[in-house]
Amino acid sequence: MIKYIGRRLTQSAFVLWLAATLAFIALQLTPGDPAQALLAASGATPEQIAARRAQLGLDDPIMAQYAHYLLALAQGNLGQSWLHGRSVGQMILEQLPPTVELALAATMVGIILGLMLGILAALRRSTWLDTAATAIAVLGLSTPTYWSGILAILLFSLRLGWLPATGEGGLRHLVLPALVLGVALSGSIARLTRARLVQVMEEQFVLAARARGLSSCRVLIVHVLRLALPPTLTVVALQLGFLLSGAVVTESVFSRRGLGKLAVEAIVWRDLPVIRGVVLFGAVAYVLVNLTVDVIQIWLDPRLQDGLS
Amino acid sequence: MRRLLLSLALLSTLLAGCGAPPPSGRIVYGLTLAPSGIDPHVNASSELGIPLTSVYDTLIYQDPATGEFVPGLAERWNVSADGLVYTFYLRQDVTFHDGTPFNAEAVHFNLARITSPDLASQKARFMLGPYERTEVVDDYTIRIHLNEPFAPLLEALSQVYLGMASPAAVEKWGDEYQLHQVGSGPFEFAEYVPGDHLLLRRNPDYNWGPSVYQHETAQVDEIEFRFFTDPATRSPALETGEADVMGEIPPQDVARLGASSDFRVEPAPIPGASLMFFMNTTRPPLDDIRVRQALLYGTDRQAIVSTVFRDTSPVAYGPLAAVTWGYDQAVQDYYPYDPAQARALLAEASWSDSDGDGALDRNGEPLALDLYLMGWGSMPEVGQLLAAQWAELGIGVNSQVVSYPEALAAADEGKHHLIPFNLSGSDPDILRKFFHSQAGFNWAKSSDADLDSWLEAAAQTSDRAERAALYSQVQRQVMDQALVVPIRDYVNLNGVNNKVQGLHFDAQGWFPWLIDATVETE
Repeated sequence: MIKYIGRRLTQSAFVLWLAATLAFIALQLTPGDPAQALLAASGATPEQIAARRAQLGLDDPIMAQYAHYLLALAQGNLGQSWLHGRSVGQMILEQLPPTVELALAATMVGIILGLMLGILAALRRSTWLDTAATAIAVLGLSTPTYWSGILAILLFSLRLGWLPATGEGGLRHLVLPALVLGVALSGSIARLTRARLVQVMEEQFVLAARARGLSSCRVLIVHVLRLALPPTLTVVALQLGFLLSGAVVTESVFSRRGLGKLAVEAIVWRDLPVIRGVVLFGAVAYVLVNLTVDVIQIWLDPRLQDGLS
Repeated sequence: MRRLLLSLALLSTLLAGCGAPPPSGRIVYGLTLAPSGIDPHVNASSELGIPLTSVYDTLIYQDPATGEFVPGLAERWNVSADGLVYTFYLRQDVTFHDGTPFNAEAVHFNLARITSPDLASQKARFMLGPYERTEVVDDYTIRIHLNEPFAPLLEALSQVYLGMASPAAVEKWGDEYQLHQVGSGPFEFAEYVPGDHLLLRRNPDYNWGPSVYQHETAQVDEIEFRFFTDPATRSPALETGEADVMGEIPPQDVARLGASSDFRVEPAPIPGASLMFFMNTTRPPLDDIRVRQALLYGTDRQAIVSTVFRDTSPVAYGPLAAVTWGYDQAVQDYYPYDPAQARALLAEASWSDSDGDGALDRNGEPLALDLYLMGWGSMPEVGQLLAAQWAELGIGVNSQVVSYPEALAAADEGKHHLIPFNLSGSDPDILRKFFHSQAGFNWAKSSDADLDSWLEAAAQTSDRAERAALYSQVQRQVMDQALVVPIRDYVNLNGVNNKVQGLHFDAQGWFPWLIDATVETE
């Protein structure tokens, strides 16, 4: 197992280099001059804009820019924001707590709701309950959060006055955004759980267990779920990795801070150091979450370990 | 004994008054700012000025009623006859919030900071125009030297971007200064959590405000600024009481808020360049002035303003917003909505519907225009209506919404037929950014020697009447040449809870003078 984790970490270094490089190349290919975007409306002369471009290193040969970027990265330096003039690492750290808080809370909601719907649908397969649960899952999957978010604010904050509509600070502020985002996540979790459960319940050992007189409830919890969960976990991990790099729509609707908003602002202004920083952070989050989930999966279903050696 | 008791009672009342501010003396002000940079010397957004105008004092102030400049940190000033040297005589009774005294060295420090290439200023530096250097004459006299005359300098110095920061605080905090800003204004910068909130606290010592302030010190204890980037949530936040004042309310919410007895909408007209579509005069078929004029005659601006902006902003007729000084009313007589005239002009330019498909063509080529739009300021909605109106004339429109940097690149290369922009600023010199042949925003791609010379002369002339006459010529020429399709003047729709009174704005229209704001305490 230790060896496995070691190998995965080595692979991760490669993945991170790849992400850093792709971010660099993609931004090179994006039209628009960052120096011009920053200064055009301020009445800077073309010479002043050219001077800023040189100052930002944008006139250097591409390979020199790339080398400079990787070298700084190797030293753990994400650079300085062109828009803010502050350290990118510092700016990401600032936005981290609200981002992680929302990502974890929404994932919890997604898992609980998704599992409930999925199990219900699988157990009552081909009944109206199955249809209803599946319909709810599809609805959650396909409702954009900017719309469900506004609806939630109008209902729970404006009409009922139960919860604050916007901002941060404590559980009360977290409930609405986590619910809205969690419901959206639960759709795919529910569908996957149902499909996998149905598949596992048809396996021989389930019949054997039932034949030995175990209650169907016990069979479900002890035997079936254990095998049905790993693929669901993979999806959860992907979604969590995605959320950790920011949920910009939900952040905007509920006026929360977060990496998503930071990234969007940076993209709008071609603030390359910040975009690269957020992309790289997202890659790190993906790698770590996926590694953790893979380890959990092996623990849940030791048969998977055979595939490792 | 009685006297002692009385003085004790008085003392305790005083102490209570100096203690923790009562929560009722507090206003929550909603901004549209993302987690953006907010150092006025470095950053460029309009939103940063909304809170920070109350943190920083400026050398002078502009009276929004008269457009005249009045003393601020400078008690008086004079300009040399050649317009190259500005001398400011400073107040001697001002201290920054951290106790640092304000003096000529402090002004020198601030201007040196702003103009230093290391700071990489995005706006303040360029507002100083042909700035050369500052000279400390004595402790309370400072001179600014220019390389050439620059009339907009006073307007620049009256804005928060050139506000005076405590040199000690700037040196202490370095790159992190924007989280710990220190000025000398009616409110202190108490706390800033990027993207979440910014807290200002009343400066009890303030008594050196300009005559445009109505009170000597601030009337509320605290103002918390919070950020509402999603337009759809702004009115709900006001209605749930999560904000007391909210800028940039979407026009469709104005009627609902106005109908309520708890809220009102205070529109603040913004001077500067109106929202207008620049017509690329170098790209056929818009190189033909008749086609450009046809587009102007074929545009029902009133319908656009009614539909998209719910009649909350004035129709624009020329490049300058009507509340800007120097605005020439003559532009209102140009190009009334007249589809028949538009058709006649197009026919004169030999565009006709030869194959009877409803679309105009010439030599087998259809009349189609590339319209670039940016995602903000309702530009996509306006573009959609323009396309529909011009389609009735038989003109095809290909619209695409692009990001700001992409728009700049596309317009630079002249890939557009039409592209919109608007920009705020109280000095009509703003026209130079759009209509000078060398301007960054010369998106009409015009090179008109008359326009260049009028714009340059106006920037170098200090006499306001002379300047106004020159800008009048510029506005008429822009419309004579049909360089733009003006749409509307910008108005900032401020939603206000009725418990808040005394909101008023500076000459830029954007920046509230919150020293005079009051809040009803329950």
